[in-house]
Amino acid sequence: MKFIYNLLIILPLIIASYVAQADTPIVNIVIRDHLFYPSELEIPAHTKIKLVVKNEDSTPEEFESYELNREKIILGNKQAIIFIGPLKPGEYPFFGEFNILTAQGKLIAK
Amino acid sequence: MLLDIIIIVLRETLEAGVLISILLSISAQRNIGVLWLVLAFTLGVVGAVVYAENLGSISGWFEFVGQEVVNAFLQYAIYCSLVFICILRRKNSSTNYLNLKLLMGVAVSLIIVREGAELFVFYSSFIQGGENWIKAATSGFIGLLIGASVGALCFYSLITASANIARIVQQAILSLVAGGMVLQATQLLMQADWLTSSIPIWDSSWLLSESSVIGQLAYAIFGYEATPSLLELCAYLIAVFIITIASLIPRNTYSHNMKPLR
Repeated sequence: MKFIYNLLIILPLIIASYVAQADTPIVNIVIRDHLFYPSELEIPAHTKIKLVVKNEDSTPEEFESYELNREKIILGNKQAIIFIGPLKPGEYPFFGEFNILTAQGKLIAK
Repeated sequence: MLLDIIIIVLRETLEAGVLISILLSISAQRNIGVLWLVLAFTLGVVGAVVYAENLGSISGWFEFVGQEVVNAFLQYAIYCSLVFICILRRKNSSTNYLNLKLLMGVAVSLIIVREGAELFVFYSSFIQGGENWIKAATSGFIGLLIGASVGALCFYSLITASANIARIVQQAILSLVAGGMVLQATQLLMQADWLTSSIPIWDSSWLLSESSVIGQLAYAIFGYEATPSLLELCAYLIAVFIITIASLIPRNTYSHNMKPLR
């Protein structure tokens, strides 16, 4: 009985999560010549976003941000999806760990 | 560039170095040899290469979040191994020693797969890019040596300490490393949108930045997170609580002939 009760609570949350995922704004970033394009992006604050990072270089890169708590390897000529936020208004730097001198960018949550 | 490579390699090896040193000190305390470590290390390296070679297809799983899911699974599996190690390390019998070696081997293999795959991909970029990979390899070797030195320092400090102090320190570090594993795994599942993300409950980056050397060391040893969400904090605390309780399970086959530490 308790199991059914718990399921009744959890199930709507799971469905709501999938519905929310369908409405998640998508933001695109391209990695080219070890640089991020665009290197600065405005995103809505307090909203979860789906970041699509396309690596157009032939070499791998690691998208990383201490402020966003995100870390993901993107192989050469591949793309990756990273869910970010919801974030408070502010600036959130990110970088390519494998080419840290050039691959720098930031998300601006407004 | 050379310094960046040293830092990248150091970051990947530090956590593994600390964990391996603790497990090795437990092994030395029980006089159960190092063959398990050699086998686990070899398996881990092979696993890391296989994982890195297949990272492209793995990343495409579960609508492009396969990398997060597999890494989270590896982290949770290491955590489970550490919990059982904490239970078994208090019991002295040949069966328990065999299980202990097996679990320590699993933990070491998995952490090498997890961290080694990233290093393998990193170095493959130098080879693919035609850049000076010998310079990169040399810098990486320095990073590896620093990570190994931290591990060696940890190991020798433990085996030269009194048995009781060593046991307490081993348990404390194992609990914190294990908590860090669960926190990282939880973060990965949030990144994959398998768990719900929320706004951080505090920001301690003004006190200790995760990008600083000490911040990275703290991250490697006890999963320091400057901006944790409530879910991450709960996962961390529950993980540390469970492994601490596991270490307190009464020992029923304790032998007074256990080899003392120096």
